[in-house]
Amino acid sequence: MNLLKTTSAAAIVAAAAAFTGTGANAANICFAFQDLETEFWVAGHMAITTTLTEAGHTVLERNANEDANKQFEQIKDCIAQGVDAIIVIPQDGESAVTIVKEAQAADVPIAVFNRPPTDTSKGIVVVADNKTIAETAVDSIVEEALASAPADKTLNAIIIVGDLGDPNAVGRKDGFYAAINKHQDRFNVVEVASKWDAATALANLEAAVTANPEVDLLFTSSDFLFPTIRSVFEPRGLWKKRGEDGHVLMAGLDGDKTACQLIKEGYVDATGVQDLYFEADAALKGVLEAIENDEAQPNVLIEDPGFALTQANLATDEMKMWGCILLAGE
Amino acid sequence: MTTETARPSPLQRVSRILLSDYFVLYLSLAYVAALAPFYPVLLTPANISNVLSNMWPLLIVATGQTFVLAIAGIDLSQGAVIAVTSVICAMLIAVTGNEAVLGNAPIWGAVIDGDGGLLSGVTGGLAIAILAMVVAAALIGLLNGVAVAVFGMPAFMVTLVTMLVVSAFAIYLSMSENISGLPEAFIDLGKGDLVSVYFGAQEESKIPRKVIYSFVTYPMVIAIAVAVFAHYLLNRTVFGRYVFAIGSNIRNAQISGVPVRRIVVAIFVISAVCAAIASILYSARLEAGRPTLGAGTFLLDVIGATVIGGTSLFGGKAKIIWTFFGVLFFVLLSNTLNLMNLSAFQVDMVKGAVILAAALLDVLRTRITRETAR
Repeated sequence: MNLLKTTSAAAIVAAAAAFTGTGANAANICFAFQDLETEFWVAGHMAITTTLTEAGHTVLERNANEDANKQFEQIKDCIAQGVDAIIVIPQDGESAVTIVKEAQAADVPIAVFNRPPTDTSKGIVVVADNKTIAETAVDSIVEEALASAPADKTLNAIIIVGDLGDPNAVGRKDGFYAAINKHQDRFNVVEVASKWDAATALANLEAAVTANPEVDLLFTSSDFLFPTIRSVFEPRGLWKKRGEDGHVLMAGLDGDKTACQLIKEGYVDATGVQDLYFEADAALKGVLEAIENDEAQPNVLIEDPGFALTQANLATDEMKMWGCILLAGE
Repeated sequence: MTTETARPSPLQRVSRILLSDYFVLYLSLAYVAALAPFYPVLLTPANISNVLSNMWPLLIVATGQTFVLAIAGIDLSQGAVIAVTSVICAMLIAVTGNEAVLGNAPIWGAVIDGDGGLLSGVTGGLAIAILAMVVAAALIGLLNGVAVAVFGMPAFMVTLVTMLVVSAFAIYLSMSENISGLPEAFIDLGKGDLVSVYFGAQEESKIPRKVIYSFVTYPMVIAIAVAVFAHYLLNRTVFGRYVFAIGSNIRNAQISGVPVRRIVVAIFVISAVCAAIASILYSARLEAGRPTLGAGTFLLDVIGATVIGGTSLFGGKAKIIWTFFGVLFFVLLSNTLNLMNLSAFQVDMVKGAVILAAALLDVLRTRITRETAR
């Protein structure tokens, strides 16, 4: 954890300097997050809190433990405490809309980090272009699958879908289908629901693989599910490195440390990368500038274009991925 | 002529305070007095308004739980009732539907589509949807009650199974998706003001803010109406006496001619209906029907608040006013733990410790009452 903290802090030193440079005096910032289950959230949490505290701001952290009502109450408590701004990782897109409305009604600037409200026109919304990132990552494994299969063979693809109440999950699913539908007649697609929960994903993936034992390609909507996939694939002989017989082409999305390790080892072929530090930087800059400019209801949509790390560009682009930066720090 | 009144010993005084109806209120006041100097924000209008708004839905659920605890039972299915009724209401009254989100749900096309729910735009549609919530809840309560009263099954087991089945059904209905796009008239039930107070610009913040706080709200009116009715039912009617008779000793109650089965069934129906009413407030304040409402540690809050108030886990001892004070203390506790900037894990640990202390206090109060009666 200390290493993670050190590495995260090192990776964002430049950003921290930029924030202090905005001239905002020490402010009280409420940072409300829905939980810290995945590497992405842990690293995002670390980046935001470290940067703010190093810049002399006070961070009031609120963990809702995946309870939308609790998060709503925590935000109201933060507003009552007179915080200068709020950064929120909401439970889902719907509750984000309610939370942004509550904050803006109280004239408190608010930034939504990574998980956008269903209405992105209110608040500072920082979000990855999930559809394009997913499409690029899936394109790379689709092309490879088609190249290595007989022309008349129909391939079996699995997509592990996230919680569709989360617009990120919807974007990733759309990106997957955008890639698959370019060769619609060549794929049978099986959808596996995860609800962003490893136990749910495990149960549903086991059922899907039992019913469809031949898997040619898999896309997981989040990298944090790779250990779950491994626990289902390994006993069935589907967890193989590239070049080994029976290797299933796999892609994910997030760009975490585990995905980086698995791509290097050859188990995973590609992952869509969200630029965590860019997103954290944008959210912090947004609220601190709003405080500085006395802007109570800033509304702006900031999109992280992201990219896909594949076996083809691993050598050149590895260190652009936040998970690989953390891995290198270890 | 002189009258000699025996002065109560310190032990008797402590006993009186412990047994007082207002013990938890005194505790709450002492708690606030102790913390206010260190956390001045505690007494600001904004924070008081927050504490109040967080109290009302919890008070309604806890009121239903009070009836069940009064007969030495427990209702673990309240959270699931909140979830399923939230989905039922939302799928009926939503003004729009999103196929990308709900397209795989069994309700898509049958109850809700792109133009909204079945009752969207229908005159009186909101009232019908709320009635549907209440009826669905009453049916679940009826099943619980019949299983406990007629088949003699333990309430813990029956309501645990109901919790599992009903929450799974709620998730199935919407395939775990939230149903947004609820009409403003419904949202007002969870957030609407009747009286709000303007306190002028807040000076401490960097950005001058509008400072208007809600005090008398629709949730407040609904919760107090439910609590007053429940108080009347429990403490001023024959039904209430039957409840206490069953809670004190079910065998004696049967022998004395109390219609035990009917009362037990009615109590589980009341508990479920209270959960459905709370579901209106929770769904409205979050502006969506949510199949996961009432999950997680929600039941800890409900049972904790009720027990902290003084309602006995052993049955036969309950008052709605106790539950009111228990909910007040519990919400104050959560609020102050937030103000102290404790982590979620620490907050839950403190809450757990307070509930344990309340349960121990219940044992102590029961002993004192027995000793006093001898």
